[in-house]
Amino acid sequence: MHDFPPEVPEYPTRQAGATTTGQLGVASDRVTRELPDTRSPSRFLIWLLRRQAYAMVGMFLTGILVYLPGAAGPYFVGRAVDEGIVAGSWDALLTWALILLGVIALAASVGVLMHTYAVHGWVNALYRTTKLVTRKTTQMGHVLPQRIPTGEILSVSSSDSDKYGALSEVMGRAMAALFAYLVVVGLVLSTSVPLGLITLVAAPVLVFVAAPLLRPLHRRQAVERSRAAELTSLATDIVAGLRILRGIGGERTFGANYATQSQLVRHAGVSAGIWQAAVEAVGTLFSGLFLVTLTWFGTRLVAQDELTVGQLISFFGYAVFMVVPIYTFFELVQKWVQSLVSARKTITLLEQEPPWEEPVAPAPLPSDAPIHDEATGFTARPGVLTVVVSAVPDDTAALADRLGRYLVSAAEPVSTELEEGVKGKRARQTRAEREAARRTQAEKDRENARRRWGVTVGGVDLSQASLAEVRERILVSDTASMVFGGTLQQALDPHGRLTRAQAEQAMYVASADDVFEALPNGWQGHLDERGRGLSGGQRQRLVLARAVAADPDIAVLVEPTSAVDAHTEARIAERLSAHRRGRTTVIASVSPLLLHHADQVAFLSDGRLAAEGTHEELLAASAEYRRVVVRSMEENPLDDDPPPLPPPSLDGPDAPEGTTASAGSDAPGERHDDPAEPAGTPASVPTHSHPGALGPHTEEARHD
Amino acid sequence: MTESESAPRGAEYLPGSADTWMPPGDEPAIPAELRPPHTGTIRQRAAAWRRRHLLREQRAQDTYTRSRNPERGLPVASSSAVWAFLKTLLGNRKPILVGLLVLHSLAAVAGLLVPRILRELVDTAAAGNTVLSTLNALALAVAGVVVVQALLTFAARWISAVFGQDLLAAAREYVVHTVLRLPLGSVEGASTGDLVTRVTRDVGTMSESVRWGLPQAVVALVTVVLTLGAMALNSPLLSLPLLLSIPALAIAVTRYLKRAPAGYITEGSTYSDINSTLTETVEGARTVEAFGLGGRRRELGDADIDVSAQAERYTMSLRNLLFSVIDFAYSSPLVWTLLLGGVGYANGWVSLGQITAAILYIQAIVTPLDQLVANVDRLQVGVASTTRLLGIAEVPQDREPGEETPDGVKLTAEDLRFAYREGHDVLHGVDVDLVPGERLAIVGPSGSGKSTLGRLLAGINRPRTGSVMVGGVELIDLELDVLRTEVALVTQEHHVFVGTIRDNIVLAREDSPDAAVIKALQAVDAWDWVKRLPEGLGTVVGSGKVKLTPAQAQQIALARLVVADPHTLVLDEATSLIDPRTARHLEGSMSVLLEGRAVVAIAHRLHTAHDADRIAVVIDGRIAELGSHDELVDAGGAYADLWRAWTS
Repeated sequence: MHDFPPEVPEYPTRQAGATTTGQLGVASDRVTRELPDTRSPSRFLIWLLRRQAYAMVGMFLTGILVYLPGAAGPYFVGRAVDEGIVAGSWDALLTWALILLGVIALAASVGVLMHTYAVHGWVNALYRTTKLVTRKTTQMGHVLPQRIPTGEILSVSSSDSDKYGALSEVMGRAMAALFAYLVVVGLVLSTSVPLGLITLVAAPVLVFVAAPLLRPLHRRQAVERSRAAELTSLATDIVAGLRILRGIGGERTFGANYATQSQLVRHAGVSAGIWQAAVEAVGTLFSGLFLVTLTWFGTRLVAQDELTVGQLISFFGYAVFMVVPIYTFFELVQKWVQSLVSARKTITLLEQEPPWEEPVAPAPLPSDAPIHDEATGFTARPGVLTVVVSAVPDDTAALADRLGRYLVSAAEPVSTELEEGVKGKRARQTRAEREAARRTQAEKDRENARRRWGVTVGGVDLSQASLAEVRERILVSDTASMVFGGTLQQALDPHGRLTRAQAEQAMYVASADDVFEALPNGWQGHLDERGRGLSGGQRQRLVLARAVAADPDIAVLVEPTSAVDAHTEARIAERLSAHRRGRTTVIASVSPLLLHHADQVAFLSDGRLAAEGTHEELLAASAEYRRVVVRSMEENPLDDDPPPLPPPSLDGPDAPEGTTASAGSDAPGERHDDPAEPAGTPASVPTHSHPGALGPHTEEARHD
Repeated sequence: MTESESAPRGAEYLPGSADTWMPPGDEPAIPAELRPPHTGTIRQRAAAWRRRHLLREQRAQDTYTRSRNPERGLPVASSSAVWAFLKTLLGNRKPILVGLLVLHSLAAVAGLLVPRILRELVDTAAAGNTVLSTLNALALAVAGVVVVQALLTFAARWISAVFGQDLLAAAREYVVHTVLRLPLGSVEGASTGDLVTRVTRDVGTMSESVRWGLPQAVVALVTVVLTLGAMALNSPLLSLPLLLSIPALAIAVTRYLKRAPAGYITEGSTYSDINSTLTETVEGARTVEAFGLGGRRRELGDADIDVSAQAERYTMSLRNLLFSVIDFAYSSPLVWTLLLGGVGYANGWVSLGQITAAILYIQAIVTPLDQLVANVDRLQVGVASTTRLLGIAEVPQDREPGEETPDGVKLTAEDLRFAYREGHDVLHGVDVDLVPGERLAIVGPSGSGKSTLGRLLAGINRPRTGSVMVGGVELIDLELDVLRTEVALVTQEHHVFVGTIRDNIVLAREDSPDAAVIKALQAVDAWDWVKRLPEGLGTVVGSGKVKLTPAQAQQIALARLVVADPHTLVLDEATSLIDPRTARHLEGSMSVLLEGRAVVAIAHRLHTAHDADRIAVVIDGRIAELGSHDELVDAGGAYADLWRAWTS
């Protein structure tokens, strides 16, 4: 038997010169088969189901036996009654009873296999989808969240995948149910044509008679769901702002708002419940009336000696069973339609291709060479610590992105989901527009990625080198850097390359010893998801320590100390400059404490290099520089020089941990990975130095 | 300089580093024993499967136990608390509960009448020389019963919906009520991730149980019992096989139910692990790329899936063990009933009609039995979630407000000591004497205790020794409503709640008239844009509604404080950094707020200190230096050193 979870290959990288129309440049047939067919939603579903055909075939074969007691059992019962009980033959009764017992025992034991196959099919579809999302994400890198909102990427894994699992399960079951249905058809027609016809017609009628009621029911359930989702976000909102509610007040107002919404959900729930009740009552009514008709007709036939009692009893059994296959077919149609909707979103994600193209003959980046940015005219000399100062923080952030060869788009990612209530022509139109927008974006990315980049290391443009080498040699650590959950050792040394002394040194340089001490188990102490539970300052220092530990040839650090107090910042400035001596380091900051330790300061004005020199020289020479660096001194105590860039909130209140798929699926979409882009929502603004409203400044406080 | 080039060696730096640093290399996600062998006899493989199953069971139990006793986070209530809670909720709804049970019973009884009448029909038909009008009359009777059954089903389901929704609304509103009563100290101190999980996922699970699990389990139970009764009435003899299969059924189901909750809770937690890892990978896509972590993230994701697959295997085995028994237990009575029927019919004890009815009852009882098992399962998971929800109420309150109200606005603190962990004081006897209206800046390295001092001065935590007094009254003993109008801790103020502008501003004084709100908005220069909003003060803002710009959100936050009107503000720069792009717009608004109030500023930035009336330098939990900027610079201590580094 095959097994789960499935193996899923990594996406291959594209070489220059490969066909642009085909999915892949160089890929073996095997890999091609293991990569999803994204040409259309139905092709994707078929591709996915074929990957686990064994599970569905297994369900079909075992299902035939599992459905046997239901489909053929009534027949054996009827024969037992007629030939055994009524005729008074012990042999016949025993024979038929034994056959029935055998069928039941067989079904019960084969049922184990069928369920096993069902689980295999379900979880394989689910795990495969999740693995594909992970692989697509790591293939696309920073470009992906600029194309599709992160919440929607996640919901492909957390919610769409489950639909495919359900589809696989119902598909296997429906095939077996079809077989059982045909068996019953044969049995009833061979017994009595009129009764057989009633039975065959009644079952579909029973299922479809409920259909008109389902529409209003689904509408009401949709209302209930959307209100419930709103209720959940109200609760999340309350928790996110709980420190304000308990600190400043407002419990009554927001408690009452929640209660009001809760009552709205309740009313919607009751109104859906009434329709649910109607559906069930109608089901009861029709299946009861069906039984009545069958009985009435059957007893007349019995009275006229055209049917035996045993056969009548068989018909009761068939009548009960027939609902099963019909309902299964109905379910299959529903699941297929739902899966198509999901598949549309899934292929939108999976069809994204990285914009990069590996040069045919990549040029090596010279070491010990200056790195130069043509757009600003900025140059960082090798082995020197350069601090970049700009009046406009976005300029330095953009410079850092260019130095690291990051494609940053100003456009919002395009949603794959339609708003509530958009359907029909408008839905198709909206989808087409978004499709086009996404395609334009992809085209633009590809163009920018392939033309001359405009940043050179020792005269070699970054586009001439392989991307892997650029990433290896130039490390950009920006304010949005993620701290990953796991042990502290893994967070600092994700590749397992460091010695303990190097690790300690990195922590020392970033003055992050309090992070170490805050964790109960030292290096093996566990950091929560996204470093939640650390204060903003601690997280920032850990990010810095990680960058220091990575020891890149060229380190580009954006606002590495914006959330750190002056004492600690002074310490870091001193240690960092000493530690990086002889290595190329570019820091974007306006803090005098850092500038003081810079070998060289570059001042950007209007997006161009305006002045260069040491901090003291520039202070003396440039009034504009002086104003930028010391402007905070003249300002109000509160708006001192915080980091020029508000880093995107790592976990804004909109993206709480543990939100359910329904409630949280769209939430993380609020996040902006693009540091050059305003953190536009109020919710994502505040979290400068801060784990976000959800992970309060706990620990600066706790361990102070 | 040389000293700072490398970390100091010796026992001092990072204590415990040597003990906890591990050679690189990950442990496998799942132990090798969980991988099935590919060789061996059937017997050996079966034994190996059994060992794996027991190991998975152990893992599920461990996960379950951990989820019951979280190391961090809020407490979890006991199961008995859930029953007590449910009893209270049901106690208030007795009439509807009784009506519900009566209707469901009647509907079930009507359903059970049908086979009974069919029995008469079969007997009549089998008797030969049947009069057709008797058949017609009996068929009509069944039709009548079916109609009544349908009507009763409708009514019963309707009332169930009303009842279930009411119960659920009451339960979730209670939960949010308890969240809103969480003690200030723990709200300020703890990560709220756990709380978010509880109000989203656990409320969701509880909803499932209350809306579907509870009513369906009750209805299924009623139906099963009544069906057994109907069978006995039909023919005691023919009901024996089903009754005899019940013990086997009960054993299998009990075994299953004992293990299932741990299994499903573990399964659920593996899916949240998959989600968290993927969330980090997606949201940290750029970091992943920068550090070349793609391979590692894929490995981690695959490892999560391996663990999840083990949890799936375990619950699958549990279900298989259950299904194989119950499928047989449901269906085999049919065979015994036929045989018994043969004996009974031959001896004239039972009629053909009775046999028919017995067979129909056996078929009819399968569905409610199935539902009973499935829903008890669901209820168990619901109870587990509810214990976590009720746990929120078990956080002890951190203050018992007294009656006294402060006389005056002077804030003094004496001999403050405080420990987060017992025996580890972070403050060692700090005194602060705040002059009304002055600005006091507190500076010091991280870990020095300055933020803790701020929290004590704001009345968030109770000092271990010493006291913070305002107007002669202990700050921590004030009613929260009073405290908020005396001292405010300005921290993460930028959260805009989903609600109207007005709701977002009146927090501290919820009965403020519109005029006061408008005045506050004017004070922070926000009235101009607010009045242009489509519905003015009544405009609903916040996540998913009208979006405010960062600057507007800041102004809202400031307006809240204007309404609260405390005489003392504690500003923690660590957490109240203001967006630089909005800062300039807010200078005016901010100075309006600060005017005439005492301000304690926990400063990261030296110019904050520079502008203050007095500066307290906190080092290692003590005030090392105190004085004006000029005094401290002249004194030539730690502050003076730092200042020189800053300005040189």
